[in-house]
Amino acid sequence: MAYGNLQMRICRFTIYSYPSLNWMAIRRRFATSVSRTCPSTRSRGSTFRSIFLGLVAALLLASAGLAQDWIRTGTGLGVEKVRLAVPDFKASTQDPKNADLSKVFNDTLWNDLDNAGIFEMVSKSFYPLGLVGAPADVKFEAWNVAPPNAAMLVFGNLGVSGGNVTVQGWLFDVKNITSPQVLGKQYQDTATSDATRTIAHKFADEIIFRLGGGVAGIAESKIFFVSSRSGHREIWEMDYDGNNQHQITHVGTISLSPRVSPDGSRLAFSALVKTGWEIQMYSFDLNRLVAFPRYGGTNLSPAWSPDGLKLAFSSSRTGDPEIYVVDASGGNLKRMTAYPGPDVSPVWNRKTGAQISWVSGRTGLPQIYTMEADGTNVQRLTDQGYAVSPAWHPNGQYLAFSWIRHYGPGAPGADDIYLMDLASKQWVQLTHDGGRNDFPSWSPDGRHVVFQSSRSGSEQIWTMLADGTNQKQLTFSGGNTQPNWSWK
Amino acid sequence: MAANAEIFLEHAPWGRNLAWSAGLHVAFTVAVILYSVISPGGHGAGWGAGGGGDAIGVTLVSTVPLPANPAPTQNVLANESKGLTESQPKPEEATVPDAIPIPDQNAKKKPKPVVTASQRKPPPQPVEEANNVVPFGQGGPVSGPYGVFSAGGAKGGFGFTGGGGDFGSRFAWYVRVVQQKVSENWLKYEVDPGIRDAQRVYLMFDITRDGRPANVQIEQSSGVPSLDQSAVRALQRIDTFGPLPSDYSGNKVSVEFWFDYKR
Repeated sequence: MAYGNLQMRICRFTIYSYPSLNWMAIRRRFATSVSRTCPSTRSRGSTFRSIFLGLVAALLLASAGLAQDWIRTGTGLGVEKVRLAVPDFKASTQDPKNADLSKVFNDTLWNDLDNAGIFEMVSKSFYPLGLVGAPADVKFEAWNVAPPNAAMLVFGNLGVSGGNVTVQGWLFDVKNITSPQVLGKQYQDTATSDATRTIAHKFADEIIFRLGGGVAGIAESKIFFVSSRSGHREIWEMDYDGNNQHQITHVGTISLSPRVSPDGSRLAFSALVKTGWEIQMYSFDLNRLVAFPRYGGTNLSPAWSPDGLKLAFSSSRTGDPEIYVVDASGGNLKRMTAYPGPDVSPVWNRKTGAQISWVSGRTGLPQIYTMEADGTNVQRLTDQGYAVSPAWHPNGQYLAFSWIRHYGPGAPGADDIYLMDLASKQWVQLTHDGGRNDFPSWSPDGRHVVFQSSRSGSEQIWTMLADGTNQKQLTFSGGNTQPNWSWK
Repeated sequence: MAANAEIFLEHAPWGRNLAWSAGLHVAFTVAVILYSVISPGGHGAGWGAGGGGDAIGVTLVSTVPLPANPAPTQNVLANESKGLTESQPKPEEATVPDAIPIPDQNAKKKPKPVVTASQRKPPPQPVEEANNVVPFGQGGPVSGPYGVFSAGGAKGGFGFTGGGGDFGSRFAWYVRVVQQKVSENWLKYEVDPGIRDAQRVYLMFDITRDGRPANVQIEQSSGVPSLDQSAVRALQRIDTFGPLPSDYSGNKVSVEFWFDYKR
């Protein structure tokens, strides 16, 4: 009788104690094993043993089953990219310059749209025969089904007449036959390849603005960087796609960490002058250096607040490198950090301007910290390794930075770009297995990151999409470091 | 002493049972400890210590373009349009079982009540096709003004109202942009991780002429506050959808968005 009770209890326990598991396989297995063992009066030992083993097995399996919920990878986005077809533009006049300019235009437009990161470009080999130069030429049924299966079609014409180039471009929703036109534009400029490239950039930006949800394109943005190709390390500038590289400063010593102002009118950087490392200011309106106070000590890595009214930088004027904030004119110096150990590389929250992230060595190796713009609420973000070069995403939610997660003797020590979500403190690695990657900087649209990498053998500037894909080298000659993407 | 010994002797030998009981208790305790060690419940502490590096809500955000989802998604704008009408399956009519009358022996025998057509489930009728139906796979911009997206098991969808009611068909590309932006800004990790399943939450908002979302409000709550909040925040996180199409004459469009959550 006592046995019967005990058995009953155990049977009930094994059957009913996991109602929440919802793992049918276990339950079914259990139910069968219990029904097989319980009512029978075979041998007590085997009954108990099988129940006990079943119990342990169930718990182990249950933990494994629950574990699956947490190993899930979450890269699924659920929304496909727009399939965009961009046939070459048709010549609208008979001018001999048409061919060259058409090539420049078509290549630039294609690259801009391809680089935008929001389109799936339909390969040109899938396109139906015949050029599309005007809305009347569009055969919807040829574009909106396979093989092109395009959702959107960019087409138009380009013609040179009398030293001017005229471009007409359209964006059509080819799945929507009744009202297909999304965009129609006409541009006119002098018939040079530079002007034609600018037209292509502008048209690409219009398309990206419409289809990318109101985020302006970056085709006309600039990247500033440090290059040694003139013999000294000076500040250079280039288009976002690596074209049109030219030197900005001629200090003649060493210039580092260029930071363009939010309105694009000025460039702050640090340079080695007679009194040491000082913050320098270059004006694009005057095309020369303008006066900026010298603070003494080593002053490095200036950073503009998003309203353009303040600069944060690190200064060792009191001995230990600390973060300071000054007005854009250089006045009203305020010290933000006061803690033993170096504090360097400040950046502002680009969305709100209410927070500063920086690198501090107060616990030993450099780590990324954030604080409010008044110096309160200091929080440490990284918990190990060697983390430097924070760069705040334009929407304020993310921080890109360079991180050697396992630093020290015997550690692999890969230096890669990481992205951290500030609200959840989750991070994702963007670069893998390719030299030292450092100095990330965000594009204005927040979809791209420019960074410095040594994977090609020397320090060069690279860009990638913010998910780590589509990595491209922009510079090839000399040593090029510390890129900074313009604000718009 | 002796009395006690007698009491023990009176009973059937139960030492073996006791041993089994103790053994099982120990086994259960060990199993529970094992479970707590193996189970990954304590994921709160080691946020930066690896493991979680590849699963990250970051990937849902608009400004970070993500690798295309290999799983097929129902992008009604680009493909598989079910036509302009009949896009939503008809809800199944609930069948009310006929009540069984309690037999009353005193009462006169009544003729058996005739079951009316409304009480009985109607026989399946051939669906009449509307004249303006766009057959499956033969064009038509959207399945009506309705769009559906899914993000890692969770789902959302929306309907547009405003203008002449044809906003969704005229500006399908804009509808797509809205769909994409909302889905990308919905961070599922904001939802209480204990929730596995929830009712659909309905949100209403306007899109102003310059593309900003406005008047975000919960039309029907899911009953899970964190899910409601995450849906509202998805919209608050969006600065702009881009200006409304220039051909559109109205000042704003109203959008009804729903979110289905399933872990």
